[in-house]
Amino acid sequence: MKKKFPGMLLVVMCLAAVSQLAFAHAVLVSSTPKANGSLHGPSIDVDLKFNSRVDGTRSNLSLVKPGGAIESLTLLKQDAPNELAAHAQLAPGKYTLRWTALATDGHITRGEVPFTVE
Amino acid sequence: MIWLIQDFDLLSVLLRALALSLEAVTVGGVLVLLFVAPRQIAEAAARDAVCRFVARFSVALAIVQLLSAAESALVLVGGEGPGTPGLPLGDVASASFFRADCILAFAALALYFLLRWGRRHFWAVYLTGAAIVASSTALSHAASRIDDRLILLLLTAAHHLGGAAWIGGLASLLVAIRKSEDAHRIHAMAQRFSAMAIVSVSMLVLAGIGMAMFYVGSWSGMYGTSYGLMVLAKSYLLLLALSLGASNFWLVRETRSSAAALLPRLRRFSETEIGLGFTALLAAASLTSQPPAIDLSPQDMLAGHQIVQRMSWKWPQLKTPRLADLPRAAPLKEHLEDTSFSGGSPNDAMSQKWSEYNHQWSGLIVLAAGLLALVSRFKGQGWARNWPLLFVGLAVFILLRGDPDAWPLGPRPFWASFAETEVLEHRFFAALITCFALFEWAVETGRLKSERAALVFPLLCAIGGALLITHTHGTGDLRDELYAEFSHTPIALLGATAGWGRWLELRWPRSDGEPENRSTIVRAASWAWPVCLMLVGVILLDYRES
Repeated sequence: MKKKFPGMLLVVMCLAAVSQLAFAHAVLVSSTPKANGSLHGPSIDVDLKFNSRVDGTRSNLSLVKPGGAIESLTLLKQDAPNELAAHAQLAPGKYTLRWTALATDGHITRGEVPFTVE
Repeated sequence: MIWLIQDFDLLSVLLRALALSLEAVTVGGVLVLLFVAPRQIAEAAARDAVCRFVARFSVALAIVQLLSAAESALVLVGGEGPGTPGLPLGDVASASFFRADCILAFAALALYFLLRWGRRHFWAVYLTGAAIVASSTALSHAASRIDDRLILLLLTAAHHLGGAAWIGGLASLLVAIRKSEDAHRIHAMAQRFSAMAIVSVSMLVLAGIGMAMFYVGSWSGMYGTSYGLMVLAKSYLLLLALSLGASNFWLVRETRSSAAALLPRLRRFSETEIGLGFTALLAAASLTSQPPAIDLSPQDMLAGHQIVQRMSWKWPQLKTPRLADLPRAAPLKEHLEDTSFSGGSPNDAMSQKWSEYNHQWSGLIVLAAGLLALVSRFKGQGWARNWPLLFVGLAVFILLRGDPDAWPLGPRPFWASFAETEVLEHRFFAALITCFALFEWAVETGRLKSERAALVFPLLCAIGGALLITHTHGTGDLRDELYAEFSHTPIALLGATAGWGRWLELRWPRSDGEPENRSTIVRAASWAWPVCLMLVGVILLDYRES
């Protein structure tokens, strides 16, 4: 056991020496509305395009409203494997769109898009 | 769930990195049984030992993969707070990634049972090894690409196989050699492994170059993005490991005539090669967390002149702003909700100066420690052997000043603030550094004479290096994060170099207490580690965030 110890220790410690990572797998390539942009309501189309395939039924979009309340948006059927889309009726004000994208390889990434409805 | 989201994100990455490492040992062992130690070449005891060794790692892989599937399921089922309701478990279980996780875990478990009790069906062993590689590839970045998916999947599979055959296989080869008595059989296995290593390294490098062409795409992407920087870090570790592999190649040619004399040296080179290889694997795991360089827009990349301007030497000011000048800390729950989606917030000028002061003083301490470590190697300078105690001071410094928003300087409670990954990382580093400092001080001053105790320093150096490779400052801005990586990544690589260099020096065979016939590489390694510590200190002294 004494002879095996350094070798096993080496392998175990190597395996334990794992990286800490900021998970940023699926990146938002473009969005409608644009970040910090403004658009005319009340009918708002949300369209997010990513750099990789995202799961169109298990990802999530939610809206932080001017008062701070958070509402989940219903995802529309995907037009492309790397897009998430939704529709909302919004009164004028400042909003933040929060997205959680589940890439098809299982990695989850999140982000937000602030915008204003005029 | 919002209290656990950031820590769960960290956990999912830890599990992925662990799974990649376990996969390398498992698949590498299967390849050794197939090509290096088949029945007609290896002694029965050697094959038995390899089977038992690989079985242990395959069951560990199954457990880690199941934990990974469970962790993802928990995040998706639990939701992330108001407005983000969870999914039904059935929905999660039908997702393609979940199925791939389960197939991988099942294949690893099947391999365990086959290696323990079903060795008559060796064809099944090779099949489960192939299933492990296939399902791991399905969980890679390539699976979610929009274009060129098939070629990227093939390149990824080749890269995994090449790494497993070389680094993972080397671990199994050492096990087989240890259990062998016939010098001719040892020589035959070593020669066959050399041939397999040449093929697998070629596969690894060519597949890596292919993936770099797809994922990086340009020289500016290589030096101007986090992804490119990680590729360069992996390449550096690969070159170091290859230099040891080359030494082993020449040693193997001599084992026919003098196996008994050369085997200890072969083992030591191989151990260090394995260590560097696994550090590279962990850097590879960090790549999965970065968006490929080719997907970034020019405003998210750094130009050459910007890098030169930021990294050029400026004398450290060593002046700290007052705590009262820092921005007021938001309540922790609000901060977690914001940063979980935004990735963090940019530091203002005072916070930048606070962080610069922390890094520069840390640099001073590490530089002093490295200098004393170098001095202690000369005769009559025994007083300098107390150099590790400087690191206790560094650990206390990190704990007190690392996170001004949390205990003890800020309003966020000690235990609750662990929910923020940057705080978790800083406290873990402080604990790691303290452990290292006390062990190494006891070894340097002769209070601990155990061989195992002496190995704590190089292992913790290597672990610290691997952990630091992607330590983030949570600014939410890709360019700010990249600037930080230009100092953290070289420090991580120097840490890994110091750690494995010291390992090789300590483990090199000795007779009558003196190292025998040290090669150039071993002599260089024994002087390299204190120089690496000093270089880490210099890099930290030059740290800037503006």
